[in-house]
Amino acid sequence: MNGSLAGKIRTALLLLSVIIVVGLLIYSRIMAYSLAPTLQPADFSKYAWYEVPFYYLWDYISHAWICLLFAFTAAGLVYEFTPKEMVTRYMSSSRVAGYAIGTVLAPFFTVCSCTMVPLFAGILYAGAGIGPAITFLLMAPAANILTILITGEFISWEIAIVRIIVSLITAVFAGVIIAKTPWGKAIEKEHQISQNSGATQQTIEIVKPPLDERLISALKFGGYLVKQIMPFFIVGLIIVGYVTAYTPQEIVEGYLTGVTGVLIASVAAGPLYTPTLVEIVLGRSLLQLGMSKAALLSWLMGQPWDIPNMMAVSKVARWKVVLTYAFIAWACSVAFGLLYGIITGSL
Amino acid sequence: MKEIKVEVIGPEPACVRCQTAKKVVEKAAERLKQAEMTVKVEKTNIVSKEVVSKYGVLFSPAVAVNGVVKIMGRVPREEEVERLIREAAEKVPSN
Repeated sequence: MNGSLAGKIRTALLLLSVIIVVGLLIYSRIMAYSLAPTLQPADFSKYAWYEVPFYYLWDYISHAWICLLFAFTAAGLVYEFTPKEMVTRYMSSSRVAGYAIGTVLAPFFTVCSCTMVPLFAGILYAGAGIGPAITFLLMAPAANILTILITGEFISWEIAIVRIIVSLITAVFAGVIIAKTPWGKAIEKEHQISQNSGATQQTIEIVKPPLDERLISALKFGGYLVKQIMPFFIVGLIIVGYVTAYTPQEIVEGYLTGVTGVLIASVAAGPLYTPTLVEIVLGRSLLQLGMSKAALLSWLMGQPWDIPNMMAVSKVARWKVVLTYAFIAWACSVAFGLLYGIITGSL
Repeated sequence: MKEIKVEVIGPEPACVRCQTAKKVVEKAAERLKQAEMTVKVEKTNIVSKEVVSKYGVLFSPAVAVNGVVKIMGRVPREEEVERLIREAAEKVPSN
């Protein structure tokens, strides 16, 4: 223990740094400084092939660092300060609470595979049933705080908000449907331990550390996410840089618009595994190249049913369940993509 | 000699943060050896039936001392774990 004064100073410094990060974002907003990269696909034609990744990366990093810094800090803070013991207690209790928490709280848990699959299994085993577990599983990667912030800043807040809403509907829908299928019920029965299981008050006594330690822990988690995500993000950016520079606009305009566009985008999104956040960057580039907004929405909705995610889940639930939710997620991404296209006239 | 059991609960294979948590707990246990305490550190699987039926749904990494979950969803500090183990030891009647 360092004594209370040192603790207080540390808390103040940490809070200050958090405030600075938030301040930077607000300041950039006031000054109308673009946090999204500014290069247009046409700009790339003047660079040689080996120059493309450098310009592209520079364009991103010089503009997006504030946004990324904010997103990772926010993700860490939110994760640390969400009342986890409350979540776990209610998750184990009942179905309705399970669905509610699955949809309302999933966005606050920034996903790393480290958290997702165990929680999915935990929810299933603890007796909340397969429905809420699936809802949680689909909701968290589609609408977590990191993804939403980056989608909002890089593409548009309209798309970000629509993405949350449609993901929510899809996730609940998939959960409810799977809970009704015979194979869903079978998994549920197989894994349920007993009606009265779940944690009792005696076995969980979470220790609340002082504020400064929680802040450090939050920032550390943010840093951990950076370490997990950024290497893939940077490699992804280099590839996306080339795609942006060398994909002829006619191809994108020809194939990624209209009903075909929605279909192609939705099919490509799932199996084509794009690491977290890269799908947003690639989506943004394709949008600039002429992809319709409807196809973009379908594309972004494809995230939860990518292959690594499905592999991990299939270890707990059977393939039948996995394929069912993948199919529902795909069908919903097509349906909502088309619907959005029709409503906004951007098919 | 008091025996304390510390479980580090995480997925199998252990994720990076769970490995860090386990190292922290092991270091704390090492320090407490000098204080006449046997600390048994164990890594348990967060999705095993035993763990779920005992503790319910957990966020990884979690640390349980003598069957009580004390830390959830974060990597603790070494001093903190040491304090928790000492506290648990006081509750155990010495024989």
